[in-house]
Amino acid sequence: MSEVIVITSGKGGVGKTTTTANVGTGLAMLNKKVVMIDTDIGLRNLDVVMGLENRIVYNLVDVVEGNCRLNQALIKHKKYSNLCLLPSAQTRDKDSVSPDQMKALIEEMRENFDYILLDCPAGIEQGFKNAIAGADRAFVVTTPEVSAIRDADRIVGLLEANEMQRIDLIINRIRMDMVKRGDMLKVEDVNEILSLPLIGVIPDDEQIVVSTNQGEPLVGSNSMAGQAYMNVCKRILGEEVPFLNLDAKRGVMSKLMDMFKK
Amino acid sequence: MTKEVIVKRNKYGIKLILDNHIPFPELLQLISDKFQETGNFFKDAQMALSFEGRTLTPEEQLQVINTITDNSSIRIACIVDDDSALEERMKTRLEAAGNAGMPQAVPAQDTSTDFYKGNLRSGQILESYSNITLIGDVNPGAKIISYGSIVILGSLKGNACAGAAGADSCFIFALEMKPIQLQIGDLIAKSPDRQKPSRSLRKKENAAGSYSPQIATARDGNICVEPVTKGCFNNL
Repeated sequence: MSEVIVITSGKGGVGKTTTTANVGTGLAMLNKKVVMIDTDIGLRNLDVVMGLENRIVYNLVDVVEGNCRLNQALIKHKKYSNLCLLPSAQTRDKDSVSPDQMKALIEEMRENFDYILLDCPAGIEQGFKNAIAGADRAFVVTTPEVSAIRDADRIVGLLEANEMQRIDLIINRIRMDMVKRGDMLKVEDVNEILSLPLIGVIPDDEQIVVSTNQGEPLVGSNSMAGQAYMNVCKRILGEEVPFLNLDAKRGVMSKLMDMFKK
Repeated sequence: MTKEVIVKRNKYGIKLILDNHIPFPELLQLISDKFQETGNFFKDAQMALSFEGRTLTPEEQLQVINTITDNSSIRIACIVDDDSALEERMKTRLEAAGNAGMPQAVPAQDTSTDFYKGNLRSGQILESYSNITLIGDVNPGAKIISYGSIVILGSLKGNACAGAAGADSCFIFALEMKPIQLQIGDLIAKSPDRQKPSRSLRKKENAAGSYSPQIATARDGNICVEPVTKGCFNNL
Protein backbone atom coordinates (compact mmCIF):
# COMPACT_ATOMS: atom_id res chain seq x y z
CA MET A 1 0.00 0.00 0.00
CA SER A 2 1.51 3.26 -1.01
CA GLU A 3 1.67 6.32 1.17
CA VAL A 4 1.33 9.86 -0.14
CA ILE A 5 3.19 12.47 1.89
CA VAL A 6 3.03 16.20 1.31
CA ILE A 7 5.93 18.30 2.58
CA THR A 8 4.73 21.78 3.41
CA SER A 9 5.54 24.75 5.60
CA GLY A 10 3.66 27.89 4.76
CA LYS A 11 6.74 30.04 4.94
CA GLY A 12 9.28 29.95 2.17
CA GLY A 13 12.92 29.08 2.52
CA VAL A 14 12.64 26.77 5.50
CA GLY A 15 13.73 23.68 3.59
CA LYS A 16 10.71 21.96 2.01
CA THR A 17 12.50 21.15 -1.21
CA THR A 18 15.70 20.09 0.52
CA THR A 19 13.68 17.88 2.84
CA THR A 20 11.74 16.36 -0.07
CA ALA A 21 14.95 15.63 -1.95
CA ASN A 22 16.68 14.07 1.04
CA VAL A 23 13.73 12.06 2.32
CA GLY A 24 12.97 10.83 -1.20
CA THR A 25 16.55 9.78 -1.81
CA GLY A 26 16.80 8.24 1.64
CA LEU A 27 13.70 6.11 1.13
CA ALA A 28 15.08 5.01 -2.22
CA MET A 29 18.33 4.01 -0.48
CA LEU A 30 16.20 1.88 1.82
CA ASN A 31 14.92 0.08 -1.29
CA LYS A 32 11.52 1.66 -1.52
CA LYS A 33 9.97 2.71 -4.79
CA VAL A 34 9.65 6.46 -4.51
CA VAL A 35 8.37 9.26 -6.71
CA MET A 36 8.81 12.92 -5.89
CA ILE A 37 6.37 15.36 -7.41
CA ASP A 38 7.29 19.03 -7.63
CA THR A 39 4.02 20.93 -7.32
CA ASP A 40 5.65 24.35 -7.32
CA ILE A 41 4.50 25.29 -10.81
CA GLY A 42 6.31 28.34 -12.11
CA LEU A 43 9.10 28.25 -9.54
CA ARG A 44 10.41 24.76 -9.78
CA ASN A 45 13.48 23.81 -7.77
CA LEU A 46 13.36 20.15 -6.91
CA ASP A 47 14.90 19.13 -10.23
CA VAL A 48 17.86 21.44 -9.60
CA VAL A 49 18.38 20.17 -6.07
CA MET A 50 18.25 16.59 -7.39
CA GLY A 51 20.65 17.41 -10.24
CA LEU A 52 18.16 16.24 -12.87
CA GLU A 53 17.39 19.57 -14.51
CA ASN A 54 18.97 18.66 -17.83
CA ARG A 55 16.70 15.65 -18.30
CA ILE A 56 13.39 17.45 -18.23
CA VAL A 57 11.41 17.11 -21.43
CA TYR A 58 7.84 16.88 -20.17
CA ASN A 59 6.42 18.04 -16.86
CA LEU A 60 3.49 17.82 -14.48
CA VAL A 61 1.31 20.18 -16.51
CA ASP A 62 1.99 18.21 -19.70
CA VAL A 63 0.82 15.04 -17.95
CA VAL A 64 -2.30 16.68 -16.55
CA GLU A 65 -3.16 18.26 -19.89
CA GLY A 66 -2.56 14.99 -21.70
CA ASN A 67 0.31 16.21 -23.84
CA CYS A 68 2.30 13.18 -22.87
CA ARG A 69 2.00 9.92 -20.98
CA LEU A 70 2.94 9.80 -17.32
CA ASN A 71 5.91 7.54 -18.00
CA GLN A 72 7.34 10.01 -20.49
CA ALA A 73 7.45 12.74 -17.88
CA LEU A 74 8.92 10.68 -15.02
CA ILE A 75 12.67 11.14 -14.68
CA LYS A 76 14.66 8.28 -13.23
CA HIS A 77 17.39 9.20 -10.83
CA LYS A 78 20.97 8.75 -12.02
CA LYS A 79 21.96 6.40 -9.21
CA TYR A 80 18.75 4.92 -7.87
CA SER A 81 16.51 3.36 -10.47
CA ASN A 82 13.71 3.09 -7.90
CA LEU A 83 13.60 6.86 -7.47
CA CYS A 84 11.66 9.04 -9.90
CA LEU A 85 10.95 12.74 -10.22
CA LEU A 86 7.93 14.35 -11.81
CA PRO A 87 9.12 17.91 -12.45
CA SER A 88 6.83 20.90 -12.52
CA ALA A 89 6.45 23.39 -15.35
CA GLN A 90 8.46 26.56 -15.25
CA THR A 91 6.51 28.55 -17.80
CA ARG A 92 3.03 28.12 -16.35
CA ASP A 93 1.32 29.09 -13.15
CA LYS A 94 -0.42 27.34 -10.30
CA ASP A 95 -3.84 27.60 -11.91
CA SER A 96 -2.76 25.21 -14.69
CA VAL A 97 -3.66 22.31 -12.40
CA SER A 98 -6.67 21.69 -10.19
CA PRO A 99 -6.85 19.69 -6.95
CA ASP A 100 -9.08 17.12 -8.64
CA GLN A 101 -6.53 16.60 -11.39
CA MET A 102 -3.79 16.13 -8.80
CA LYS A 103 -5.92 13.58 -6.98
CA ALA A 104 -6.51 11.63 -10.17
CA LEU A 105 -2.82 11.73 -11.03
CA ILE A 106 -1.79 10.48 -7.61
CA GLU A 107 -4.35 7.67 -7.72
CA GLU A 108 -2.84 6.63 -11.03
CA MET A 109 0.64 6.50 -9.49
CA ARG A 110 -0.28 4.70 -6.31
CA GLU A 111 0.03 1.22 -7.80
CA ASN A 112 3.57 1.74 -8.97
CA PHE A 113 5.21 3.36 -5.98
CA ASP A 114 5.60 2.75 -2.25
CA TYR A 115 5.96 6.42 -1.43
CA ILE A 116 4.77 9.50 -3.24
CA LEU A 117 6.31 12.70 -1.94
CA LEU A 118 4.77 16.03 -2.85
CA ASP A 119 6.94 19.12 -2.64
CA CYS A 120 4.51 21.90 -1.76
CA PRO A 121 5.05 25.53 -2.75
CA ALA A 122 5.20 28.24 -0.10
CA GLY A 123 1.92 30.00 0.62
CA ILE A 124 -1.62 28.86 1.20
CA GLU A 125 -3.09 29.52 -2.22
CA GLN A 126 -3.84 27.36 -5.23
CA GLY A 127 -0.46 25.61 -5.21
CA PHE A 128 -0.92 24.53 -1.61
CA LYS A 129 -4.43 23.30 -2.29
CA ASN A 130 -3.18 21.27 -5.26
CA ALA A 131 -0.36 19.75 -3.25
CA ILE A 132 -2.43 18.60 -0.29
CA ALA A 133 -5.38 17.35 -2.34
CA GLY A 134 -4.23 13.78 -2.77
CA ALA A 135 -2.05 13.38 0.32
CA ASP A 136 -2.56 10.85 3.11
CA ARG A 137 -0.17 12.49 5.49
CA ALA A 138 1.76 15.71 5.86
CA PHE A 139 5.17 16.77 7.09
CA VAL A 140 5.22 20.33 8.31
CA VAL A 141 8.71 21.77 8.07
CA THR A 142 9.63 24.71 10.24
CA THR A 143 12.74 26.43 11.48
CA PRO A 144 13.01 27.48 15.11
CA GLU A 145 11.98 31.03 14.28
CA VAL A 146 8.84 32.72 15.46
CA SER A 147 7.77 33.73 11.96
CA ALA A 148 8.19 30.24 10.54
CA ILE A 149 6.36 28.71 13.48
CA ARG A 150 3.51 31.17 13.09
CA ASP A 151 3.10 30.13 9.45
CA ALA A 152 3.46 26.47 10.32
CA ASP A 153 0.66 26.81 12.84
CA ARG A 154 -1.58 28.35 10.21
CA ILE A 155 -0.73 25.48 7.84
CA VAL A 156 -1.54 22.89 10.49
CA GLY A 157 -4.92 24.52 10.96
CA LEU A 158 -5.59 24.36 7.23
CA LEU A 159 -4.42 20.76 7.02
CA GLU A 160 -6.72 19.79 9.87
CA ALA A 161 -9.60 21.60 8.20
CA ASN A 162 -8.88 19.53 5.11
CA GLU A 163 -9.01 16.37 7.19
CA MET A 164 -5.39 15.38 6.82
CA GLN A 165 -5.11 12.05 8.57
CA ARG A 166 -1.66 12.44 9.98
CA ILE A 167 0.58 15.46 10.48
CA ASP A 168 4.19 15.26 11.63
CA LEU A 169 6.69 17.97 12.38
CA ILE A 170 10.22 18.43 11.09
CA ILE A 171 12.31 21.09 12.77
CA ASN A 172 14.98 22.24 10.39
CA ARG A 173 18.17 24.26 10.71
CA ILE A 174 18.46 24.15 14.45
CA ARG A 175 21.73 25.41 15.94
CA MET A 176 22.60 23.90 19.25
CA ASP A 177 25.16 26.53 20.12
CA MET A 178 22.53 29.24 19.75
CA VAL A 179 19.96 27.22 21.66
CA LYS A 180 22.43 26.89 24.51
CA ARG A 181 23.04 30.59 24.60
CA GLY A 182 19.31 31.08 24.72
CA ASP A 183 19.26 32.86 21.37
CA MET A 184 17.21 30.23 19.61
CA LEU A 185 14.02 28.36 20.44
CA LYS A 186 14.49 24.87 21.79
CA VAL A 187 12.92 21.82 20.17
CA GLU A 188 10.65 21.62 23.19
CA ASP A 189 9.56 25.24 22.76
CA VAL A 190 8.61 24.66 19.14
CA ASN A 191 6.79 21.51 20.05
CA GLU A 192 4.89 23.27 22.76
CA ILE A 193 3.47 25.77 20.29
CA LEU A 194 2.68 23.34 17.51
CA SER A 195 2.08 20.18 19.57
CA LEU A 196 2.62 17.75 16.75
CA PRO A 197 4.41 14.41 16.76
CA LEU A 198 8.05 15.09 15.94
CA ILE A 199 9.53 13.02 13.12
CA GLY A 200 12.83 14.80 12.63
CA VAL A 201 15.20 17.43 13.93
CA ILE A 202 17.71 18.53 11.33
CA PRO A 203 20.72 20.56 12.44
CA ASP A 204 21.91 23.56 10.47
CA ASP A 205 24.73 22.21 8.35
CA GLU A 206 26.98 23.89 5.81
CA GLN A 207 27.07 20.65 3.88
CA ILE A 208 23.41 21.13 2.96
CA VAL A 209 24.28 24.21 0.94
CA VAL A 210 27.08 22.34 -0.79
CA SER A 211 24.90 19.34 -1.60
CA THR A 212 22.03 21.50 -2.83
CA ASN A 213 24.36 23.32 -5.19
CA GLN A 214 25.83 20.08 -6.45
CA GLY A 215 22.47 18.45 -6.99
CA GLU A 216 23.24 15.49 -4.78
CA PRO A 217 21.22 15.05 -1.60
CA LEU A 218 23.44 14.31 1.40
CA VAL A 219 21.12 11.85 3.11
CA GLY A 220 23.02 8.83 4.35
CA SER A 221 26.32 10.70 4.42
CA ASN A 222 28.37 11.14 7.51
CA SER A 223 27.32 14.71 8.13
CA MET A 224 24.93 15.46 10.96
CA ALA A 225 22.18 16.60 8.59
CA GLY A 226 22.68 13.50 6.45
CA GLN A 227 22.25 11.25 9.46
CA ALA A 228 19.25 13.20 10.69
CA TYR A 229 17.51 12.85 7.32
CA MET A 230 18.24 9.12 7.21
CA ASN A 231 16.65 8.81 10.65
CA VAL A 232 13.54 10.56 9.34
CA CYS A 233 13.35 7.97 6.56
CA LYS A 234 13.67 5.11 9.01
CA ARG A 235 10.94 6.60 11.16
CA ILE A 236 8.71 6.79 8.09
CA LEU A 237 9.23 3.04 7.67
CA GLY A 238 8.08 2.60 11.24
CA GLU A 239 11.43 2.01 12.94
CA GLU A 240 11.98 3.45 16.39
CA VAL A 241 15.07 5.61 16.05
CA PRO A 242 16.29 7.80 18.89
CA PHE A 243 16.88 11.44 18.04
CA LEU A 244 20.47 12.38 17.33
CA ASN A 245 22.39 14.00 20.07
CA LEU A 246 23.08 17.22 18.21
CA ASP A 247 24.87 18.53 21.22
CA ALA A 248 27.82 16.17 20.92
CA LYS A 249 30.95 18.22 21.10
CA ARG A 250 33.05 17.38 18.13
CA GLY A 251 36.71 17.24 18.95
CA VAL A 252 39.41 18.64 16.73
CA MET A 253 40.43 15.09 15.86
CA SER A 254 37.06 14.02 14.47
CA LYS A 255 36.85 17.20 12.44
CA LEU A 256 40.28 16.49 11.04
CA MET A 257 39.24 12.94 10.22
CA ASP A 258 36.23 14.27 8.35
CA MET A 259 38.43 16.54 6.32
CA PHE A 260 40.58 13.62 5.25
CA LYS A 261 37.58 11.53 4.31
CA LYS A 262 36.51 14.08 1.70
CA MET B 1 7.11 3.23 -32.52
CA THR B 2 4.72 1.85 -35.06
CA LYS B 3 5.94 1.61 -38.58
CA GLU B 4 2.42 1.52 -40.01
CA VAL B 5 1.93 5.23 -39.64
CA ILE B 6 4.81 7.63 -40.13
CA VAL B 7 4.37 11.37 -39.91
CA LYS B 8 6.79 13.49 -41.88
CA ARG B 9 6.89 17.20 -42.11
CA ASN B 10 7.70 19.24 -45.11
CA LYS B 11 7.72 22.95 -45.66
CA TYR B 12 4.02 23.56 -45.78
CA GLY B 13 2.48 20.67 -44.00
CA ILE B 14 2.68 17.06 -43.04
CA LYS B 15 2.87 13.85 -44.98
CA LEU B 16 1.44 10.61 -43.66
CA ILE B 17 3.19 7.50 -44.85
CA LEU B 18 0.66 4.74 -44.38
CA ASP B 19 0.93 1.00 -44.42
CA ASN B 20 -0.89 -0.59 -47.34
CA HIS B 21 -1.68 -3.92 -45.71
CA ILE B 22 -3.42 -3.44 -42.40
CA PRO B 23 -7.19 -2.92 -42.36
CA PHE B 24 -8.43 0.67 -42.46
CA PRO B 25 -10.08 0.86 -38.99
CA GLU B 26 -6.85 -0.35 -37.44
CA LEU B 27 -4.94 2.24 -39.39
CA LEU B 28 -7.31 4.91 -38.18
CA GLN B 29 -6.69 3.87 -34.59
CA LEU B 30 -2.92 4.10 -35.11
CA ILE B 31 -3.27 7.56 -36.60
CA SER B 32 -5.36 8.59 -33.64
CA ASP B 33 -2.72 7.29 -31.20
CA LYS B 34 0.05 8.95 -33.13
CA PHE B 35 -1.55 12.37 -33.08
CA GLN B 36 -2.57 12.14 -29.46
CA GLU B 37 1.07 11.57 -28.73
CA THR B 38 2.53 14.27 -30.92
CA GLY B 39 -0.43 16.46 -31.71
CA ASN B 40 0.36 19.22 -29.31
CA PHE B 41 3.77 19.70 -30.81
CA PHE B 42 2.18 21.27 -33.84
CA LYS B 43 -0.04 23.51 -31.72
CA ASP B 44 -2.58 25.36 -33.82
CA ALA B 45 -0.64 25.06 -37.01
CA GLN B 46 -2.50 25.17 -40.26
CA MET B 47 -1.19 22.57 -42.59
CA ALA B 48 -1.51 20.87 -45.89
CA LEU B 49 -1.82 17.12 -45.72
CA SER B 50 -0.56 14.54 -48.16
CA PHE B 51 -0.57 10.77 -48.19
CA GLU B 52 1.93 8.26 -49.33
CA GLY B 53 2.10 4.49 -49.50
CA ARG B 54 -1.63 3.89 -49.63
CA THR B 55 -4.40 5.11 -51.85
CA LEU B 56 -7.35 6.38 -49.90
CA THR B 57 -10.88 6.95 -51.09
CA PRO B 58 -12.30 10.44 -50.46
CA GLU B 59 -14.44 8.85 -47.76
CA GLU B 60 -11.36 7.45 -46.03
CA GLN B 61 -9.46 10.69 -46.43
CA LEU B 62 -12.24 12.51 -44.65
CA GLN B 63 -12.11 10.02 -41.80
CA VAL B 64 -8.36 10.47 -41.48
CA ILE B 65 -8.74 14.24 -41.34
CA ASN B 66 -11.42 13.96 -38.70
CA THR B 67 -9.18 11.68 -36.67
CA ILE B 68 -6.34 14.16 -36.85
CA THR B 69 -8.40 17.19 -35.93
CA ASP B 70 -10.13 15.29 -33.13
CA ASN B 71 -6.88 14.25 -31.56
CA SER B 72 -4.80 17.37 -31.98
CA SER B 73 -5.13 21.06 -32.54
CA ILE B 74 -3.79 20.88 -36.08
CA ARG B 75 -5.97 22.44 -38.70
CA ILE B 76 -5.85 20.83 -42.09
CA ALA B 77 -6.03 23.48 -44.78
CA CYS B 78 -6.15 21.12 -47.73
CA ILE B 79 -5.22 17.71 -48.98
CA VAL B 80 -2.62 17.21 -51.63
CA ASP B 81 -3.64 13.87 -52.96
CA ASP B 82 -0.68 13.04 -55.09
CA ASP B 83 2.25 11.89 -53.05
CA SER B 84 4.65 13.44 -55.51
CA ALA B 85 2.85 16.74 -55.00
CA LEU B 86 5.14 19.64 -55.31
CA GLU B 87 5.65 21.87 -52.38
CA GLU B 88 4.86 24.71 -54.72
CA ARG B 89 1.33 23.49 -55.07
CA MET B 90 0.92 23.10 -51.36
CA LYS B 91 2.27 26.54 -50.88
CA THR B 92 -0.16 28.19 -53.22
CA ARG B 93 -3.06 26.30 -51.72
CA LEU B 94 -2.10 27.10 -48.19
CA GLU B 95 -1.60 30.73 -48.99
CA ALA B 96 -4.88 30.73 -50.87
CA ALA B 97 -6.50 29.50 -47.68
CA GLY B 98 -6.22 33.13 -46.68
CA ASN B 99 -4.56 32.83 -43.38
CA ALA B 100 -2.52 35.94 -43.08
CA GLY B 101 -2.19 35.96 -39.32
CA MET B 102 -1.06 32.39 -39.00
CA PRO B 103 2.69 32.05 -39.10
CA GLN B 104 4.05 29.19 -41.10
CA ALA B 105 7.05 27.01 -40.75
CA VAL B 106 9.94 28.57 -42.56
CA PRO B 107 12.72 26.70 -44.23
CA ALA B 108 16.13 27.07 -42.72
CA GLN B 109 17.29 29.13 -45.65
CA ASP B 110 14.79 31.83 -44.85
CA THR B 111 16.76 35.01 -44.61
CA SER B 112 14.48 36.89 -42.25
CA THR B 113 15.86 37.22 -38.76
CA ASP B 114 14.35 38.58 -35.60
CA PHE B 115 16.55 40.61 -33.33
CA TYR B 116 16.04 40.69 -29.61
CA LYS B 117 18.00 42.51 -26.98
CA GLY B 118 17.88 41.58 -23.35
CA ASN B 119 18.23 38.55 -21.14
CA LEU B 120 15.75 35.70 -21.09
CA ARG B 121 15.07 34.77 -17.51
CA SER B 122 13.78 31.56 -16.01
CA GLY B 123 10.28 30.77 -17.23
CA GLN B 124 10.46 33.06 -20.24
CA ILE B 125 10.11 31.67 -23.74
CA LEU B 126 11.21 33.43 -26.89
CA GLU B 127 9.60 31.83 -29.91
CA SER B 128 9.92 32.93 -33.50
CA TYR B 129 9.10 31.53 -36.90
CA SER B 130 12.20 33.07 -38.41
CA ASN B 131 15.81 32.97 -37.36
CA ILE B 132 16.61 34.58 -34.03
CA THR B 133 19.51 36.72 -32.98
CA LEU B 134 19.49 37.36 -29.27
CA ILE B 135 21.77 39.95 -27.79
CA GLY B 136 21.83 38.83 -24.19
CA ASP B 137 21.80 35.65 -22.15
CA VAL B 138 19.41 32.72 -21.94
CA ASN B 139 19.29 31.84 -18.27
CA PRO B 140 18.57 28.36 -16.87
CA GLY B 141 14.86 27.63 -17.08
CA ALA B 142 14.36 29.94 -20.07
CA LYS B 143 13.80 28.65 -23.58
CA ILE B 144 14.47 29.99 -27.03
CA ILE B 145 12.61 28.40 -29.91
CA SER B 146 13.13 29.16 -33.57
CA TYR B 147 11.93 27.57 -36.76
CA GLY B 148 15.25 28.58 -38.22
CA SER B 149 18.65 29.04 -36.65
CA ILE B 150 19.61 30.76 -33.43
CA VAL B 151 22.50 33.10 -32.75
CA ILE B 152 23.02 34.10 -29.16
CA LEU B 153 25.42 36.92 -28.48
CA GLY B 154 25.72 36.04 -24.85
CA SER B 155 25.55 32.91 -22.73
CA LEU B 156 23.22 30.04 -23.45
CA LYS B 157 22.51 28.50 -20.06
CA GLY B 158 18.92 27.41 -20.66
CA ASN B 159 17.20 25.44 -23.41
CA ALA B 160 17.43 26.17 -27.10
CA CYS B 161 15.46 24.64 -29.95
CA ALA B 162 16.38 25.41 -33.55
CA GLY B 163 14.57 24.15 -36.63
CA ALA B 164 11.46 23.57 -34.55
CA ALA B 165 9.51 22.40 -37.59
CA GLY B 166 11.93 19.56 -38.10
CA ALA B 167 14.65 21.22 -40.13
CA ASP B 168 17.94 19.74 -39.01
CA SER B 169 20.02 22.01 -41.21
CA CYS B 170 19.68 24.73 -38.59
CA PHE B 171 22.36 25.64 -36.11
CA ILE B 172 22.68 27.21 -32.69
CA PHE B 173 25.50 29.61 -32.04
CA ALA B 174 26.39 31.06 -28.66
CA LEU B 175 29.27 33.03 -27.29
CA GLU B 176 29.12 30.82 -24.25
CA MET B 177 27.58 27.39 -24.68
CA LYS B 178 26.36 25.97 -21.38
CA PRO B 179 22.88 24.77 -22.28
CA ILE B 180 20.66 22.48 -20.25
CA GLN B 181 19.20 21.01 -23.41
CA LEU B 182 19.68 21.59 -27.10
CA GLN B 183 17.23 20.65 -29.82
CA ILE B 184 17.86 20.82 -33.53
CA GLY B 185 15.05 19.54 -35.70
CA ASP B 186 14.00 16.22 -34.21
CA LEU B 187 17.22 15.71 -32.30
CA ILE B 188 17.58 16.46 -28.63
CA ALA B 189 20.66 16.50 -26.44
CA LYS B 190 21.09 17.16 -22.76
CA SER B 191 24.10 18.60 -21.05
CA PRO B 192 26.49 16.06 -19.55
CA ASP B 193 26.01 15.32 -15.87
CA ARG B 194 28.70 16.90 -13.82
CA GLN B 195 31.23 14.34 -12.70
CA LYS B 196 32.93 16.32 -10.00
CA PRO B 197 30.54 19.08 -9.19
CA SER B 198 32.43 20.43 -6.25
CA ARG B 199 35.44 21.19 -8.41
CA SER B 200 33.60 22.67 -11.33
CA LEU B 201 31.52 24.75 -8.99
CA ARG B 202 34.51 26.31 -7.44
CA LYS B 203 36.44 26.61 -10.63
CA LYS B 204 36.57 30.14 -11.83
CA GLU B 205 34.31 30.76 -14.74
CA ASN B 206 35.94 32.13 -17.82
CA ALA B 207 38.00 35.14 -17.02
CA ALA B 208 35.67 38.11 -17.18
CA GLY B 209 34.90 39.22 -20.68
CA SER B 210 36.51 36.38 -22.58
CA TYR B 211 34.03 34.09 -24.29
CA SER B 212 34.78 30.91 -26.14
CA PRO B 213 32.09 30.81 -28.82
CA GLN B 214 30.68 27.48 -29.82
CA ILE B 215 28.30 26.27 -32.46
CA ALA B 216 25.89 23.35 -32.37
CA THR B 217 24.89 21.57 -35.56
CA ALA B 218 23.12 18.34 -36.39
CA ARG B 219 25.37 15.74 -37.94
CA ASP B 220 24.65 12.05 -38.59
CA GLY B 221 21.75 11.97 -36.17
CA ASN B 222 23.69 13.63 -33.37
CA ILE B 223 24.06 17.17 -32.15
CA CYS B 224 27.68 18.28 -32.33
CA VAL B 225 28.92 21.22 -30.32
CA GLU B 226 32.30 22.54 -31.34
CA PRO B 227 34.37 25.64 -30.93
CA VAL B 228 34.03 28.24 -33.61
CA THR B 229 37.06 28.26 -35.83
CA LYS B 230 37.90 29.96 -39.07
CA GLY B 231 36.06 28.31 -41.89
CA CYS B 232 33.66 26.35 -39.75
CA PHE B 233 30.76 28.33 -41.19
CA ASN B 234 31.57 27.15 -44.70
CA ASN B 235 29.69 23.91 -44.40
CA LEU B 236 26.57 25.32 -42.79
